[in-house]
Amino acid sequence: MLFGANGPNSFIWWDWVDRHRDLIKDATFEHLRLTLIAVVVGFLLSGLLSVIALRYRWTYAPITWVTGTLYTIPSLALFVLLVPWTGFTTLTAEIGLVSYTLLILIRNIVAGVDGVPAPLKEAADAMGYRPVRRFFEIDLRLATPAIVAGLRIATVTTIGLVTVTGLIGLGGYGGLIVDQGVNRNFFSTPIVVGATLSVAMAVVLDVGLAGVERLLTPWARRKVAS
Amino acid sequence: MKRSVRFAAIGVVALLAIAACSSDKKTTAGAGAGASSNAPAKPTITIGAQDFGESAILAEIYKQGLEAKGFKVTIQKLGGFRDLEVKAFDGGTINFAPEYAASMLEFLNGKKGEASSDVAATVSKLGTQLDTKGLSAFTVTTGVDTNALVMTKAKADQLGIKTLSDLASKGASLKLGGPADCETNPFCIPGLKKVYNLDLSANFQALDASAVASTLDAGTIDVALLFSTDGRIAANNYVLLQDDKHMLAADNVIPVAKKDIASNTELSAAVNAISAYITTDQLIAMNKRFDVDKDDAAVIAKDFLTKSGLL
Amino acid sequence: MGAIQDFANYAADSSHWWGNRGILHRSVEHMRLSVCAVVVAASVAIPAAMFFGHHKRGGLAAQSIVNIGRAIPSFALLAFLFPLSLQFGFGLGFWPTLVALVLLAIPPMFTNAYVGVRDVDPAIMEASRGMGMGEGQVLLRVETPIAMPLILTGVRIAAVQVVATATLGGLFGFNGLGSYIFEGFAQQDDGKLYTGAVGVAVLSFFTELAFSLVAPRATPWLRRDRRPDVAPLDVPPRKEVFS
Repeated sequence: MLFGANGPNSFIWWDWVDRHRDLIKDATFEHLRLTLIAVVVGFLLSGLLSVIALRYRWTYAPITWVTGTLYTIPSLALFVLLVPWTGFTTLTAEIGLVSYTLLILIRNIVAGVDGVPAPLKEAADAMGYRPVRRFFEIDLRLATPAIVAGLRIATVTTIGLVTVTGLIGLGGYGGLIVDQGVNRNFFSTPIVVGATLSVAMAVVLDVGLAGVERLLTPWARRKVAS
Repeated sequence: MKRSVRFAAIGVVALLAIAACSSDKKTTAGAGAGASSNAPAKPTITIGAQDFGESAILAEIYKQGLEAKGFKVTIQKLGGFRDLEVKAFDGGTINFAPEYAASMLEFLNGKKGEASSDVAATVSKLGTQLDTKGLSAFTVTTGVDTNALVMTKAKADQLGIKTLSDLASKGASLKLGGPADCETNPFCIPGLKKVYNLDLSANFQALDASAVASTLDAGTIDVALLFSTDGRIAANNYVLLQDDKHMLAADNVIPVAKKDIASNTELSAAVNAISAYITTDQLIAMNKRFDVDKDDAAVIAKDFLTKSGLL
Repeated sequence: MGAIQDFANYAADSSHWWGNRGILHRSVEHMRLSVCAVVVAASVAIPAAMFFGHHKRGGLAAQSIVNIGRAIPSFALLAFLFPLSLQFGFGLGFWPTLVALVLLAIPPMFTNAYVGVRDVDPAIMEASRGMGMGEGQVLLRVETPIAMPLILTGVRIAAVQVVATATLGGLFGFNGLGSYIFEGFAQQDDGKLYTGAVGVAVLSFFTELAFSLVAPRATPWLRRDRRPDVAPLDVPPRKEVFS
């Protein structure tokens, strides 16, 4: 069955893939769209919450507690609970997807900024940087590796979760897996293709973000004169 | 340093633009439906399709058949079960759906048990119920797809079970597998309880509809709830347990639509012309192409319409 | 809110707690599968990670493979494994879900254990070798305790993810709390739906709680007061390494 003659029961029926290239292409764009909206919105929201947590320390615990609780609600449950309120729409998916990015991003942003050595911050203050300018030009810049690490984890996690939205009728690779695969007597081709492309997308974006990190932290690459 | 930040910012904005501007195909589908209430010459149709093969195929059949007659038609995919379809009608997201007479009747009348194997009686009662929801039905087809309780030949022979009465007397402890709504579906567990005095709820295994047949083959469940038009019943030589006490009712395929467009004479003529060709044998053949040959619903529908001379 | 009322009604009905499809049985099954997955994953990931971390070679390749593993969507994997499991006689639910969960749990455990062992101060390792310890002893008696906080963090992260993701098994016949969500959605039964969601959240919470209680006990030396005449093992302050 696995690697037998190329047909509906093989591991991947290449004819089917060939005939459905448009479907796969649409699924790719939809998957990318859902992922990007989630990560960008999640990042903006997390940025806001992190700044609040850094400025008002006592808020860090409750913020982490709420986002942590959201994180433990299984994605399937969250989507299914939202459907009666927001329907089988992108909004439903995005509410869930964004929630899952918050914990990871907030923790990493705060940890990154906290990890900037105190002497550096003091030196900057002594040099005359005003607090806001210091935050943006020193703290955030030096926290870049931690922030990008968080973005990478959030992005890869989100790509995986978008497949679950196939169960509430959305497109993306999940739609491919559910509509064409699971609902059609567990037809393996779309399932395998959907899963593989999802992994590929995650790897590409992960490596891309690592590249962005290198671009943003040129001082890390410069050789230190001994 | 400022330059790299600027590039990153431009990149983010560009990605946001792509994300925001690419159309959300799902939610724009229903936009045309609302405009049809003024009953122009050719109303725009939005067909609701549930997530099982036969529903997708029927939706495609009506879509392509009506498009050939000059109507503008889109298909809206619906998840879950019948309740979401009714909600979609209420909300105006869809205005047409291929339904099943007896099951729809029982759903709308709160499972009162009015449906029977008498097609005409069932359809007439259905009409009354639909009316209260602002819906009405077109002519019923002869294609029937009821629930089917099946067992593998080996197991059925071993236990000597051929009818549902046999199941009640010999198979009360067997494991039933079926779609999750079996627990509340009057033609599944509650029906067996009422008509045959058989309670299979303790060992019931809820499964994704498409997984049921494979699970039966693997022996993990003993009795499976499939649909009577499922091509695998014949292909895998299952024993379809006879409904000797008539628990199952007339689940004929019947297109249902919002009252205002159903009254459009051009539309009903077109729909009924298509419905005339939908028979049980056709349903079985089309389902086999979908489940076993992995053909697409749109292709199957096109072939059906072409063969029937409707395209 | 109507839904909360439904949930309260459902949970209050004692008949819903007993039997094969009751709350107790499903919760126990859910935890049983989760524990099994975590144990299997730990016995694979942690020794491998410690080996690579100790020898400081091949780590990049191993880490890359693990990263790819992290990107595999559990849901898709389950959808793929389910029919295979049926075909090869492994039955419904339990085995395919176990495989998917083990694969899910390995990356966080591997990453954290690897970094934990790799980043042990080389000076300490030198000193230990100087004291006459063999490589195995260095690994076991020196590196492991130092890396323990990170190793435990990795296991904790993996465990919570496993408990949450085991819910997906409900779609493929696994009789855990996920079945409530699957059935509740299909039957439009809010009571069941919330029972499943709340149940899993509660289990996740207790899993986190368990680890937060166990972790300090596994690394008691980090809490002991330092004696002034002995230089303390300098465990550098480390931010949690997230998978």
